[in-house]
Order: sequence, then C-alpha cells, then structure tokens
Amino acid sequence: MRRDLVSALFWLAVAIFAAAQGLALKLGSLKQPGSGFFPFWGGVVLGLLSLVLVARSLGRQSATGPRVRPESSRLLVVAGALLGYVLLLERAGFVAVTFAFLLLLLRLERRGWAFSAATAGAGAAASWALFQLWLKTQLPVGPLGF
Amino acid sequence: MEIVQGVLYGFQVALQPINLLYCFVGVLIGTLVGVLPGLGPAAAIALLLPSTFSASPVSAVIMLAGIYYGAMYGGSTTSILVNIPGEAASVVTCLDGHAMARQGRAGAALGIAAFGSFIAGTLSVVLLTFLAPFLARVTLSFGPPEYFALMVLGLTLLTYFARESMVKALMMAAVGLLCGVVGQDTISGRLRFSFGIRTLEDGLGLVPVIMGLFGISEVLLNLETRDQDRGIFAAPTTGLLPTREDWRRSALPILRGSALGFGLGILPGAGAIIASFASYAVEKRASREPERFGHGAIEGVAGPESANNAAAGGAFIPLLTLGIPANAVMAILLGALMIHGLQPGPLLVTQAPDVFWGIITSMYIGNAMLLVLNLPLIPMWARLLRVPYALLFPFVLLFCLIGAYSVGNNVGDGVVMWVFGIVGYLMKKFDYEGAPLILAMVIGPMMEEALRQSLILSTGSFAVFVTRPISAGFILASALLVLLPLITRRRPSAT
Repeated sequence: MRRDLVSALFWLAVAIFAAAQGLALKLGSLKQPGSGFFPFWGGVVLGLLSLVLVARSLGRQSATGPRVRPESSRLLVVAGALLGYVLLLERAGFVAVTFAFLLLLLRLERRGWAFSAATAGAGAAASWALFQLWLKTQLPVGPLGF
Repeated sequence: MEIVQGVLYGFQVALQPINLLYCFVGVLIGTLVGVLPGLGPAAAIALLLPSTFSASPVSAVIMLAGIYYGAMYGGSTTSILVNIPGEAASVVTCLDGHAMARQGRAGAALGIAAFGSFIAGTLSVVLLTFLAPFLARVTLSFGPPEYFALMVLGLTLLTYFARESMVKALMMAAVGLLCGVVGQDTISGRLRFSFGIRTLEDGLGLVPVIMGLFGISEVLLNLETRDQDRGIFAAPTTGLLPTREDWRRSALPILRGSALGFGLGILPGAGAIIASFASYAVEKRASREPERFGHGAIEGVAGPESANNAAAGGAFIPLLTLGIPANAVMAILLGALMIHGLQPGPLLVTQAPDVFWGIITSMYIGNAMLLVLNLPLIPMWARLLRVPYALLFPFVLLFCLIGAYSVGNNVGDGVVMWVFGIVGYLMKKFDYEGAPLILAMVIGPMMEEALRQSLILSTGSFAVFVTRPISAGFILASALLVLLPLITRRRPSAT
C-alpha cells in the first residue's frame, strides 16, 4: 500500500538520523558501551524494520486505503488553536487565553455568540477555580492580574 | 502469616478517612473517563498526576489506581447504551451488550457487567495479594541480564498482540526506545538528542507525550466525523439485577474471564484490551449455542467485562514486584511512584510496606465502592452521554493543555504535547499503535542501563543473556514470539 510506503520512508529517515547521532555520540566498545551505543543500535533496528515495510508495501499492489488527507478544515483550526494556546499562555495569562481558546472552538462548532461567550467565560472561570484555587496548580498570570 | 499481617496493615492504611476519600475520587473519575468516549484512563491519570503532588505517596497512588480500574467499569456503560466503546477494553462489550439493550435488556447487561467486574476485580486482587510478595522475593535475585531479557520479552509480547501489523508495532517500540534516550545519559552524563532545547535536556516528559498520543490525537480524529446521532438508549433505573437464568449463564464466563484476564494482565504488554477479546473468543467457543453471540448473549458481556477488570488487577504485579510497567497506564503509575520518591521493584514491599499493602487493599475497597456507586449512578452517566461532542471536546483539549503545562510549569511541555498530538493523529491515520511507543519510551532508559551494565559485567560478551537460565528463558520466549507469525504465515502458502 502506498500509505505504508510513505510512512516507512519517514521512519527510515528518522532511523538514519538517530543512528548518525548515535555515531557522533561515540559508540564505545562492547566492554564499555558509550552514550551513542543504544541510540545507534536503536536506529539500526528501526531502519531495518522500515526497510521490511518498504519491501512489503512495494510487493503489495492494492492501493485503496482510506484517504489520509485531513477531511476537514476544522482540524487545522483546532491544531492551530492548540499551538496558539501553548505559545500565548505565559504572555497573556491563563484566564484570557482559556477564554479565547474556548470561544474560538465553540464558534467553530457554530454555536451562537452569546452562548459561546457565556460558556467560554464560565469554563475559563471554573477551570481557574478548580486548578488554581482547589488543586493549587501555579497557572500563569497575565498583564491583567489573572 | 506474613501476608495476613500485610493485609491487615494495608487495611489500616487504606481505611484512613483521607485515603478512603482519594479512593472514592479515583474510582469516580475513573468511571467518568470510562463512560466518556475519547478520554481513556492513560490520559486521565497523566492529567491528574500533578494534582497529587501535595498528597502523600499512598493517597496519590490509591487515587490513580482507582482511576484505572474504575475506567474498566465505566467503559461498559457506553458500550451497552450507545454502541460506542467508552474505553478500548470495552470494544467487545458493544457486540452483545448493545444487542441486549436493543432487546430491552439494557438493565441486565449493565447489571451483569457491574457484578462481573466486581467479582473479577476482587478475585484478581486476592491473587495479587498472595502472588505479589512471593514474586517480589523471587525477583530479588534478578541481575541486569534478567531485567534486560524480561523487558525484551515485554516489548515482544506487546508487539505480538498488536492489532495491526507486528512490523509496525516493533517499529513503534524502536521509536519509543529512541524517545526514551532523549536527555541526559545516566551513565556518562552526556546530553543526547536535546539540540540545545532546555525542555529536552530533562528528557521527554511522559505526561505531555501521553496527552498528545492518547488525548489530543483522539480528539482530532473524532473531529473528522461530524456528530452523528448516537441513538442513546434511555437508561433503565430498574431491572439492573440479573435474573437467576442470567446468573446461571454468566457464572462460568465470569470465572473463566477472571482467570484469563489475570493471567494476561500480568504479562507485560498484554493487558485489558487483549484480555477482553480473548475472553469473548473463549466464551463463543465454549458455548453450546455460539450463534447467539452478537445477538445479545449475556455470556458475551459477562466474560469480557470480567476479564478486563481482572487484567487491571494483574497488571499491578510486574509494577509492584519488578518495577516494570505492563502497559501505558502502569507506566504513568511508575512515574507517579518515582515522583513521590519511591522505587517500585522487589524492595518496595520491605522499604515502603504502607504503599505496597495500602495500594493492594485499597483495591478491595475501591471495587466495593464501584459496585455500590455504579448501579444507582447509571442514569446519570447516560445523561452525560447526551452532551454533544461539540461542547465536550474543547474542554477535553483544555484539560490536556493544563495537564501538560502544570507538570513542570513549562511551556515547552505544551509544545511537546502538541507535536505528539499531531504525530499521534498521523499514526492513527497510517495504522500505527501508540501503546508500544509509550511502553518502550518508559522502559527504554531501564533497558539501556541493564544492557550496558550486563555488557560491563560480562566484559563485552552477549553470551551473558543466554548462559543464565532465567534470562535465557525470557530470550527464548521472545524469539519464539517473533518467529511464530512467520512460521504460521508460511504454512498456508506452502500447501
């Protein structure tokens, strides 16, 4: 299957990279294995397995797997929102970022503005209370003081 | 005698009000994540790990363990009422459990799942009570070669039982071993694969990786399919007690499921999912009317639901006696014990008897709590299932984000989670499993240390793994597992 070929080639690249890094870290000897010993051989094993998968996928000609392309643009929005949350968390503070994150995702699901804003507000406040006040997690504080 | 003393001491610990509270919270949250599809016990435990930092080690582990076996109870509710497995180990329960619900027998299905889970859970804790101290004594004699060989066997078993291709599962184990290498080398102190990034210098965090692979990726995958009408059955409030005929049909499946589940649970790499499938297959074969299976046979609910609970108990054996996790959930529990300054392994029973016996006896209490709690709460769980996914998923993602960040108050961990979320999503798309990766990542550093120590011990000779009898046995079993599929596949093409 083509899908297997693509993924196997990806892991082959990872394997080559790992083995090369292992070599650079020094293999040591069998009597005194060095820092690079385990990553090098881990990479070699992964590489060999990837080659087995490459050979298998070339041997099999049935190329009708499920589509791999993301089926909806919401996926990209959600993935972007997640990364945005992580990167902005310490700059804007927990409450503000959480509110914006929940609002965006609820609007994405075509909920009304009023409902989304109210739910996002309640969600941000409740999670802050749960984690900061009750569980004593240190959540980042923004310029507004929360 | 020693065991009786241990059990009594354990009950003293587990019955303290604070520990009862933690146990209760654990099994309640466990049931909740079991009921909710798309959030499994691994992600839930990882999420709640930071919240236990202020608790004592015993309380923390009692709660986290409760989440694990609680999820086994909860998973069946969703399978039976909605025909969606709430949890991976309840996949087979959909077959006959949902068929029973369609015939108006949802109450009996939910009832027998709860009773079966209770009986199997309790039986497996009894076995755990007697076997764990004994095995801890045996494994005291293990040296680095035995440990290494056992871990090889564990990884091989995990890939042998893989649902997709074994090659892919082995590849994921190799990737996991490489992930475990990231950070400081424990022997030489050198930094590996950290590329000057601070977050990576301490190694890849287990919590963010699990959140990504099991939490984020699952949500992303669910987002592709629009909310369908789930067709939830109205939860029965009466008729939960199985009839005499139900009991007659279910008694043997529950006992067989308990034994099978416990046995498979002990093996590193097998676990609750395999146990439930194996039990279903056994019951179908043992039945005089196998054609009833898939059309509402109560045996098909009783067996697998017992097996997955028994497996949850069995899985504690390698963790408590060897310090080796049998599955992804045990891997996080191992992490939790170590964060609290405990070293799981053969010495745990003597060094921290309160933890060792406290955990074991808390499971008797937790199982009883689950039975008493769950039957009356079923209507509430069913109502929860009516919350649309569009409202649920933003909060699941939010909890993952908070969980990953709060382990070390580090934004870098959030990025690690994001990366593994995307990788996990692609892995699911390309039919790779996450479990071998996680397990290998956790035991990777232990394996590397054992391998390097073994080689130093033997002055560079690999023969050390086959000249010591226990280690040789493990290696031989691993080799057989790898070769077995090759042999059985060849045979049909030869004829």
